Amino acid sequence: MADRRTRSMKSSNLSRTAVNRASMIALQLQGESSKLLELYRQKESFPADVTDGRLVSVPPPSSQLDTRDKLWRLHSALLQTQSLLERAITKEEEELGGGIKGEYENQRKTVKGRLSFLLLTTGNLLKAVDGAASLTPSLEGLELDGPTTLFQLKLWLLQVFSEVHHWSRAAVTTLQELLTNAADKQSSTTRVRSTRSARR
Amino acid sequence: MPKLICQHTLKLNCSFPWLICVLVNLLALNTHAQTIPPVPKQVSLSADLSVKELTISWFGGAASTFDLIILRTEFNTSVFYDTISATINQASGRHEWKWTSAEPLECTSLSVRIRSRDGLATSEWSKINTFRGRDLPSINTLQMYPQDRVVEVGSNMTFCCIVEEGKTFKEMLYGNTIMNVTRLSRRSYATTLVNVEPTGVSGSNIVCRLKDLSLTGAVMFVGYPPLPSDFVCETQDLKSAECHWKEARDSHLTGERRRTRYSVNSRNCNVDSQLTCRLPLWDGNWTLMAENSLGHYSLSDSAELIHRVRPVAPVNLSSIANAWNATVIWQWTYESYFTLDLNCQVESTNHESKTLHVFSGVGLRSVKLSGLHPDQAYTVRVRCGDQKYFWKWGDWSQTFSFKTQTDVPDPPDVWMWMNKDRTGLVVWKPLDYQQSHGRVTGFEVTLWNPEDVEQHTQILPPNTYSVQVNLTEMASLGVNKKVFATVVVKNIKGASPPSRVPLRFIDEQPLVLSKPVFTNNGFFLFWQQNATNTCNYLVEWLDTSCEHDCPVKWIRVAAGSTNVSIESENFKPGVRYNFSLYSCPSDSPQLIKRWQGYTQELVPSRSVPLSVKSQDSKVVITWGEIPLSDRRGFVLGYNVYISNGSELALLANLSSSEMRRYVVKGLSVGNYKFTVKSYTSAGEDTGSTASITLEPFTDALILEMLGALGTITILLIIVTFICYKKRNWVKKAFYPDIPEPKLPGDWSRLQGPLDVRPSPHSMVHIVEKPERDFNKETLVVIPEEEEYFEKDEPVDTDEPMSLRYYNQVVDDRPIRPRFPGSSASSASSLDSGHTDVTYTGIQTSGSSLVFQPDPQGSSEEQPPEVVRYDGGYKPQMHPKVLSDDVVLKSSNPFQESEAASSVGYKPQCSWHLDSPTDTAETGSLAPSLGSPTSVASTQFLLPDGDGDEKNKQQPSSAAATWFSNLLLSSKP
Repeated sequence: MADRRTRSMKSSNLSRTAVNRASMIALQLQGESSKLLELYRQKESFPADVTDGRLVSVPPPSSQLDTRDKLWRLHSALLQTQSLLERAITKEEEELGGGIKGEYENQRKTVKGRLSFLLLTTGNLLKAVDGAASLTPSLEGLELDGPTTLFQLKLWLLQVFSEVHHWSRAAVTTLQELLTNAADKQSSTTRVRSTRSARR
Repeated sequence: MPKLICQHTLKLNCSFPWLICVLVNLLALNTHAQTIPPVPKQVSLSADLSVKELTISWFGGAASTFDLIILRTEFNTSVFYDTISATINQASGRHEWKWTSAEPLECTSLSVRIRSRDGLATSEWSKINTFRGRDLPSINTLQMYPQDRVVEVGSNMTFCCIVEEGKTFKEMLYGNTIMNVTRLSRRSYATTLVNVEPTGVSGSNIVCRLKDLSLTGAVMFVGYPPLPSDFVCETQDLKSAECHWKEARDSHLTGERRRTRYSVNSRNCNVDSQLTCRLPLWDGNWTLMAENSLGHYSLSDSAELIHRVRPVAPVNLSSIANAWNATVIWQWTYESYFTLDLNCQVESTNHESKTLHVFSGVGLRSVKLSGLHPDQAYTVRVRCGDQKYFWKWGDWSQTFSFKTQTDVPDPPDVWMWMNKDRTGLVVWKPLDYQQSHGRVTGFEVTLWNPEDVEQHTQILPPNTYSVQVNLTEMASLGVNKKVFATVVVKNIKGASPPSRVPLRFIDEQPLVLSKPVFTNNGFFLFWQQNATNTCNYLVEWLDTSCEHDCPVKWIRVAAGSTNVSIESENFKPGVRYNFSLYSCPSDSPQLIKRWQGYTQELVPSRSVPLSVKSQDSKVVITWGEIPLSDRRGFVLGYNVYISNGSELALLANLSSSEMRRYVVKGLSVGNYKFTVKSYTSAGEDTGSTASITLEPFTDALILEMLGALGTITILLIIVTFICYKKRNWVKKAFYPDIPEPKLPGDWSRLQGPLDVRPSPHSMVHIVEKPERDFNKETLVVIPEEEEYFEKDEPVDTDEPMSLRYYNQVVDDRPIRPRFPGSSASSASSLDSGHTDVTYTGIQTSGSSLVFQPDPQGSSEEQPPEVVRYDGGYKPQMHPKVLSDDVVLKSSNPFQESEAASSVGYKPQCSWHLDSPTDTAETGSLAPSLGSPTSVASTQFLLPDGDGDEKNKQQPSSAAATWFSNLLLSSKP
């Protein structure tokens, strides 16, 4: 578990607009990270079927998770992804960088900015659900032990970018679910209210 | 090993041979001990993996030559086998030899054996010594060697991939290229890159893939050793040194560990994008050392401090600004600059216009900028260089802005437009920032006459650039007096000097209007230089279609100029502009020349007003002019079209704009549409169309008919008159006199027919047409005598002797030879309008008849028969005896009999004047009118005999000879 919950979750209603906005940002990040991945594969001539493992560790998804847990899980994963991405960029510049700012470098910067924005948005959603809950990113387990050679570093970068793409997709899915649930909840509430008023 | 064998037999008796044998044996043993070198001992292997170098050391005794064999342990394949000379390491006392492998030493284990060699003698091989590769079973991981290697461009590089136990190798890729692979051992595969090219930003990847899609790889950087250039050191503070250089080529070695490192005089330089190194003191001599993974390069420089001064940027700029100049002040960071002889540039920018001012002086710290304009904002920056030993310009200072003070405005540029009715406009141009010298507060316009004191002044607000004037309302100014307008501009600083313009209607119109040339740069106007003119010129232009209070534009041209280019953003295509050149515009403007032109001619926007009317049988098309504003170009002419269904057919192209009338002649009755299109150099307009219907012109028709009848009547009268005058000739030609027979006795009492003998030139053979009426007698042509053929007389002759009678009944068909009794002959006779008499050959020569005897009935085959011409016609003027040989033989016995029985013809001596009306009495003979019987013969051949025959013959002849009778009756 890479993140710690500092406060217990409590029920709260989510703003549909905020969720929708976060969903849109996640959708943007999904497209941008996909392009980054593609640019990186092209740059390094990596085959498309290179196997990649997971770097981010969060509890497994479950249907038992409520809104707060889902949001917490997503936010935690995104925090780890952001940490990985920042380290990857630094490491790449240090080991391989030539100071050139091409399309790949610009896309990398865009993804980094978008991921930060998504994190901010999901953080706000989490606060809305869980009060003043704050998540402190922990980099345990994310240390770069393996990449002792440049080729391993490159594979690790590929993994990091894959993680960004994976969690941006996951963010889209989770936020869409939340949006659907919120809509269902709103309609059922309206139905109950109308029933009560009819009884009166 | 050589072996000597000797039998050791100790016998006292043979001591000498024994002794020799012992000696030889000893010698042999001694020799054997010297030729076998010792086996190398304590062989050890050490490797420098980065350079793929294997160091082999051993104790080899005194031997210096060794045989060395290196094998890939697993496959026992030899990679090296040679005789080498090894040196002894003095410190360790061991022989040592280095071998560089083509493949990385990690790829597979290598076994080494050595033996000593002394000439041909060699020792035993040493024990196998193995350098362990990374493909040992104990290391069961996917590996790639070498890693992160940096090589120079053009090198060859071998990589190997060691697969895991139980996994299957698939391929090795360099970029996207699948490489050729050599198997080194059971798990090790190698590939070699030849002549490698510079790599990109993050190096190149060599990837090893297994069948299960797992992969490993290595990154390789291919680049160049450093190559710095342009290494120089300079000073700014007159104390320290700052050295700069450039890289002549990209090393292609990226990443912190591979980038080129620089040092100057052994001091490390932290360079980023700027290749600069700062040294605290001026050494005077410097050496730059550049170094990367592939090599190093050094450059040197030396100079005196005073020769390498690049001043720092001036700081703390300030100014003291006036209206037309300003003083710019700055400070130096270092006090040492106060004694430095400096050369400084001050760049001032005003409305994006830059001006560079240059100043010099010792320790320069202020300069005075002149040529500035009042009330203007300026931005300045300063840089300096050493004046005495100029090395480089220093850095530009920060920019500094100031504004000049205001001043009175410049006089405005004034012109006028006067209408014919003594009204007009006084116009002036807006003052730009360089003329207004401050915010304009208003204008003052004064009308005045030099002879009078009275003035009419108007105060106008800013942004007013014209004022209407009406000289008729100003009584004091008079009609013929010279009137001037004076315009003054005012701003907060005061009023400008006045500008004046005479107000006068210039109604001169030059005879010739020139066309100016328009290019992208505007209208180009040129004129002849007038030596007497010392004034300036003014070129005025306006839309030609404007007539009253026109918004004129103008430009002033210096005296002596002969051309000007007029540019304006307001010029529009299709608008005609008037350009007028005036001399002395401020005192007494005189029109010098006028031009009219277009920036771009277009097709007329309106069509001509068209009218069409008929005039007699002609159609007159007239049209008017297109209004000037709609012409949109110089009208070059008009095209007149007639509508031909859906298409227009060009009738005329009138290449003059003055021709506006066209007459169409020769049109028949009907409806016509005419289109007239004017055209400019840009093309035709859409055209105006008018239609007209032409009615039949009856009066003209009647007149024409009457004219024709009159002409015919006159012709007839002329013919009649000629015939009357030439009646003798006519008579001779067509109706020769038939001499009266001279009879010895009194023939008047004879009642019988005359015995007319046929002319020797003509033979008439009366034949009967059996098809119709066998009782009817018919004239048959008799061929002429051969002598007549031979005479070859002309066919036509006026002489009565040779008059030819021929049958004209059968239309125009050629006369066909007829033979009595022949069907052809009969048929022809039938055609002849029921004429029973064929007159062919009467008094004619044979040539005129084209008459050929039937070969069957020719005289050659049958003997000619004599025909008796008992009743034949004999002209009495030329009695001649018919010779026998000219008699035509008739093949028809019936005709012959008929001819024989014929009583012949008798001349109609006493015939009466017939008229055509007589023929009506005998209807059966009517068709004979106009028949060939009307040949121009006054001699009628009347059959002798009964009255029926007379009746039959007479009408036809009467009709035919009616005109002849007329002539006869008029015979004198």
